Amino acid sequence: MNDILIKIEDISRVFPVPGGEFTALKNINATVQKGSFTILKGRSGSGKTTLMNIVGCLDYPTKGKIIIGDKDVSALSERERENLRRKKFGFVFQSVSLMPSLNAYQNVEFSLRLAGKKVDADTQKRVRECLKLVGLSNRMTHMPAELSGGEQQRVAIARAIAHRPDVIFADEPTAELDSAMAANVTQLFKAMAEKEGITVLMTTHDVGLMDAADSIIELENGERINV
Amino acid sequence: MFKLMLQKMWHKRWMTLSLLVGCVLLVATAISFPLYQKAAYDRMLQDEFHKNISEEGRFPTVLSMATIFKKDESGMLQQMETFMDSVYGQLGASKEQTVFYYILQKTPLYSDMNREDAGDIGVALSGITDFENHINIINGECFSETGKNEQGAIEVLVCEDCFIEEGLLLGETLTYEAVSDAQGNPIQIVIKGVFRLPEDDLFWQEGTDKIRHRAYMNINLFRQMFTGENTGNYTIDCRQYAFMDYQKIVFEDVKNIVAKTKYFYEESEYKNILEKPQYMDTMEQYLRKINRISATLLILQVPVMVMLCAFLLMISGQMYEMERNEISVIKSRGSYRSQIFRLYLYQGLVLSLTGGGLGTLLGVLFSKMLSSTRNFLEIEPTLSLEVVFTQKAVVYAVGAMLLTLLSITLPAIKHSRVSIVDVKRQKATMKKSLWKKLYLDVILIGISVYGYYSFHKNMINLSMNVLQGESLDPLLYISSSLFILGCGLLFLRIQPMLVLLIYKLGKRFWKSASYISFLENMRNAGKQQLIMLFLIMTVSLGIYHATVARTILSNAIENTQYLNGSEIVIKEAWPKNLLTDEYMEPDYTKYMTLPAANLCTKVLYDDAGYVSFKQSERQIVTVMGIHTKEFGMVTQIPAGLLEKPYYEYLNELAKAADGVIASSNFQTRYGYKVGDTIRFRNEEGAESYGRIVDFVDYWPGYTPKMSVTDPDGSIKEQDNFLLVAHYEVLKQDFGIYPYEVWIDLKEEYTEADFLQWVEENHMMVSKYANREANLRNTMEDPLLQGTNGILTLGFMVTILLCAIGYLIYWIMAIRERELMFGVLRACGFHKGELVHMLINEQIFCGVFSVLAGIGIGSLSSKLFVPILQQAYASENQVLPMKLITNAADMYRLYGVIAAVMLLALSILIMILFKMNVTKALKLGEE
Repeated sequence: MNDILIKIEDISRVFPVPGGEFTALKNINATVQKGSFTILKGRSGSGKTTLMNIVGCLDYPTKGKIIIGDKDVSALSERERENLRRKKFGFVFQSVSLMPSLNAYQNVEFSLRLAGKKVDADTQKRVRECLKLVGLSNRMTHMPAELSGGEQQRVAIARAIAHRPDVIFADEPTAELDSAMAANVTQLFKAMAEKEGITVLMTTHDVGLMDAADSIIELENGERINV
Repeated sequence: MFKLMLQKMWHKRWMTLSLLVGCVLLVATAISFPLYQKAAYDRMLQDEFHKNISEEGRFPTVLSMATIFKKDESGMLQQMETFMDSVYGQLGASKEQTVFYYILQKTPLYSDMNREDAGDIGVALSGITDFENHINIINGECFSETGKNEQGAIEVLVCEDCFIEEGLLLGETLTYEAVSDAQGNPIQIVIKGVFRLPEDDLFWQEGTDKIRHRAYMNINLFRQMFTGENTGNYTIDCRQYAFMDYQKIVFEDVKNIVAKTKYFYEESEYKNILEKPQYMDTMEQYLRKINRISATLLILQVPVMVMLCAFLLMISGQMYEMERNEISVIKSRGSYRSQIFRLYLYQGLVLSLTGGGLGTLLGVLFSKMLSSTRNFLEIEPTLSLEVVFTQKAVVYAVGAMLLTLLSITLPAIKHSRVSIVDVKRQKATMKKSLWKKLYLDVILIGISVYGYYSFHKNMINLSMNVLQGESLDPLLYISSSLFILGCGLLFLRIQPMLVLLIYKLGKRFWKSASYISFLENMRNAGKQQLIMLFLIMTVSLGIYHATVARTILSNAIENTQYLNGSEIVIKEAWPKNLLTDEYMEPDYTKYMTLPAANLCTKVLYDDAGYVSFKQSERQIVTVMGIHTKEFGMVTQIPAGLLEKPYYEYLNELAKAADGVIASSNFQTRYGYKVGDTIRFRNEEGAESYGRIVDFVDYWPGYTPKMSVTDPDGSIKEQDNFLLVAHYEVLKQDFGIYPYEVWIDLKEEYTEADFLQWVEENHMMVSKYANREANLRNTMEDPLLQGTNGILTLGFMVTILLCAIGYLIYWIMAIRERELMFGVLRACGFHKGELVHMLINEQIFCGVFSVLAGIGIGSLSSKLFVPILQQAYASENQVLPMKLITNAADMYRLYGVIAAVMLLALSILIMILFKMNVTKALKLGEE
């Protein structure tokens, strides 16, 4: 429980903008414990999504290193980063991110396929298990368009955990949900971290959800303000 | 509002541009047809006139009136003259000139010189308008202005033949004793000059046989002396000719000319003295012909126009689809439906007006292209016709613009009705297409198959109808189009099942990229329908039209080549020796030194020979006498037409000195066998005989069956019979008998070189046929050329539409799914996998459609082209029709399609690679 899984070392990110540069992140340092539920906190525009994207290997830092386990992922090739994303990471996004042409079951199964798992009895069992975990056993054959926003987000969570990733990155997964549903989803993440031993990194600006977190990294104007 | 519209259009400039392209093409296609028609029909009309001139040697558009006057009390003559001058206006034609012929009844003429032959001179006194400008005086001079000499004798001119045959002398005075002038003195004439008719002068309405019995005097003097108050004493043959300027007659005039002329000689008060003019047959035939051509070409244009409208509907539909959110937002903010509709109406107006302007310019180019089409997808600018803008074209342009406006604005009615709720709701549901529910595909195929069978059964009647001038039955062409459409829809019904089947077969093995593309395709089948149908229609119509065009033209060309026999066929005039009644053979040695010829051969060709049977029954036979070896070298026969190779027949004939090759109808009709001896005669009755060595269905220049028109106007088929023997044998039996010379030209020589040689040798030619010229005529026939042009143009337009439509569809499909791609990339999907996915989708949508199009196109060609080509059969179609597909056409078609798909794919891949994952993910947050 005390192992450090992610080390964020002196990360800066500068975006070119018309007529100059915009510094989104400035010398961020942080660590994330393995199996913890960590919240990235901050107002919108504080840089939390940028940081999450960099840690999740969706973006490169302008300066600094991200060490996950014992690997400097910012130095990996694009292909290695992609493989990392498909096998070791799970993603949940603010907006609905399910494949519209796949039903709930197929969406979850798809992440197993992506992770290179053979489609067999085991995977089928795993898909059902994940959907059950998010409370959607009875809606497996529904298409995304036939599910409510909260249900869709829960399918997305099931999809994110199905292939047993090391880390789940959840970017404002509760932004479009009502507060009860938001608390529900947050609890689900926490349970996930505890039950499956998955490290969860979640961004949110909703202060009501902070209680559930094992640790909090708080950003303001691209700088970390709690150490 | 206007600013908002412009902003909107600029924002979606690619869509707007595509719509504009559609509008321009629609207008251009629509007006190219009347423009081409105008140019082609005018040319055709002039061709008809020229053909008439060269065949008859007379002015082609003359209306004539003839009457004989004894008394002109009521001023009838004056009335006739006034009427004649008014016909031009009534017919709507320009006046070339009105010519009067006045001929005094012929009475004995006596020379004042007391010659022995006096009293035998039979010439009638005559006056013709503008006479002096249509003669060449070879002796003496023209009559003076007063028309009389000092002694009061009428000055006359006679033609050379008359002068010689009547034994007249220049300056001789002669007297008509039975005719006297107003004062009671007998009429005296004096021969003032002798003339010859200028060559190629179309002025003369009387033949030389008449002219040689006339003495021509000043027409004004004639009127003064013999008409008006004086008419009572004389019998005058009066003819009046209205010469219309045929070069100024255009195809729009013909209908009125025909109708008015008919009224003149059938109903007007002059009906008894008006003759049915010669031009009536020419013009009526011409009208029938152009009606047939117009109907045929119009039908051929329909699919292109339909596809253009479908394209506009599709693109504007796509555009509204993109704007649905905006519309629903505007509406939720309180905009009226009518405001939104107006927004789209203005946009439609701007597009169709711009399209109309540009389309008109392009249309002129299109019509030039139509008139310079040599073959399917082959354009030869030298053939191009002068394009004149007509009122009809303006009507077409306006019609086309309205059509574009409708196509662009109609979908707006539906879309202006949407509310924000509808948009959300529709995203959640998937509807089955209406056509699927109605089984439109099955119905269409049913109708077309029924059409196919009923036309197939009546194929012979069909070609007969066409020969009688009826146009291509629209139902026939529509049947084939419906068949293609029906099959296309059927394929759309099957395609998702096909994809599902493939998916199921390899369900466990599909990698994630394939897996997702299968599911995406099955899910989006409804959305893809239109573009797939477009693709299927483009490919199958392309194949079908290419086959139609190639088949029709190749058959016509092959037929012309066959009928012409060799490259040049020439027959000189063979004069007869009046004493011995034997033909005098023109010098043949000149052919041996003809520089332009590879080879010349004598061919005795008598199409009025006959074979006699017992009961004095005669069968008309074409008798040919050939030098087997030379004949084989100057003629060809298309492969596969005869049972054995052509040269084997020639060899068989060559081996038997008394051999004869007979047409196979001798075998079927009269029971002749190989080895039988057959006796036959030439037109003049000279007999020959030979032993039949073989039977043939075809022979260079031979027409086995001929359509003849019965007096009642019905057309029936008649067998032609042929006998081919050795020239030397026939020469022995027939004596010196006219032959033709069949010539094979050297490649570097043209027809002009040959004609120059003919002129240099002062040859009198009685028959001349040139294969190149005939081929050119065949290819310039507006029916064939128009068909080729319209099909070529249609093909290019549809390919262009298909390319634009395909690109737009796929670019939209990617843009719509940008979020999805972003999620996939975030989840670790490689770019390669995305490309793989796109390729899969292109295969399911594009390649499947193309393959289906190829299948449908080939099938419909096999079924319908053999029937359709009946509509193009000319009366002299001899060879059996062959279905022709040109491999190069197909490669071109596939090449273009492949290029379009590759272009689409590379643009899509480019978009994908440019896509930024984090940006794409952001899209979903808005």
